[in-house]
Amino acid sequence: MNTYEKLRCLAKSNKAQNLFLAVKELNGLTLFRNSNDLSKLQELYLSYLYLYDAINHDIVIDKISDKIFDYELYEDAYILWKNKGRKQVKKEDKNKQKELHLVVGNTINFPKRG
Amino acid sequence: MENRLNEAQRIIKEMEKETELSKVEELIKDNKISFEHDKKQYRVRLLNLSEKEELDTLRRKKFGQLLKDKDILLEKDLIEDYKQRGIDIADLDEQLKKLNAQDIDFQLKLGEAIAKNEGDTIFNNYREQIESVRNQKKEINAQKTLLLQFSLENALLNYVAQVITYLSLDVCENNNWKRMFSNLEEFQTYHDEQLINKAGQYSMYLQYL
Repeated sequence: MNTYEKLRCLAKSNKAQNLFLAVKELNGLTLFRNSNDLSKLQELYLSYLYLYDAINHDIVIDKISDKIFDYELYEDAYILWKNKGRKQVKKEDKNKQKELHLVVGNTINFPKRG
Repeated sequence: MENRLNEAQRIIKEMEKETELSKVEELIKDNKISFEHDKKQYRVRLLNLSEKEELDTLRRKKFGQLLKDKDILLEKDLIEDYKQRGIDIADLDEQLKKLNAQDIDFQLKLGEAIAKNEGDTIFNNYREQIESVRNQKKEINAQKTLLLQFSLENALLNYVAQVITYLSLDVCENNNWKRMFSNLEEFQTYHDEQLINKAGQYSMYLQYL
């Protein structure tokens, strides 16, 4: 395992995930000694913490099974698909907002229901 | 007896893994990396503003020198030369583009299959397809890297990596940290290659990915 693979392994560990949860919920607890100017390695570690936090959350609510941990590829693929879905929903919301026309004048176009 | 041996080996592997992970923890606990070399304490840290300006000045000077050197070609000129010799790098780029699109496409299908829990057979099928695409990508990337390794842009990147290491390496003397090298030439002619390589690797972890 190279350093980046070990970093990912570390972020995946129960210890790291529990600490991450505690940092999110408690004031004053920090992941790193520095509170700003993160190194690239720290940024990467943080992104892996968020990735495994999202996956663990979906396992806990029975959205997916823990077979996802069989391969890192499964983890990456699932998050990619999930994020694409999120972007799609945001796009649809934006388009829906554009359909609202309120023109001051003789005619007012109300959005269709149903 | 064999079971106990297997169990002992498993425990040793786990302990080794824990040791490796705690070494990585040391690399991320701060935005500086301290290490010992030949009984002396060193550290690599992020550049401050004046060091970034120094880096920028050195980079611009080097770029100017490289431009004047007729033996070093810009990437686009190197690509043109290769094309005249029958090696089409634009074609390699096209192939990479298609493979990247396939990689993403298969990953999305795999992600959806995982979300729908479609089963191991389907997962393995997508995984094998993705691995095949990635192996092809690796081959093409390696080919392209080899072909363009002597470009001006690459030479500049290597120089910048050197300068960053030179600027970010400190040594501890009498409990005080001070910059190890007072000028670039001193860094470039320093006798201890092992120290320079170690510092170079750590500065990469801090500044690049």
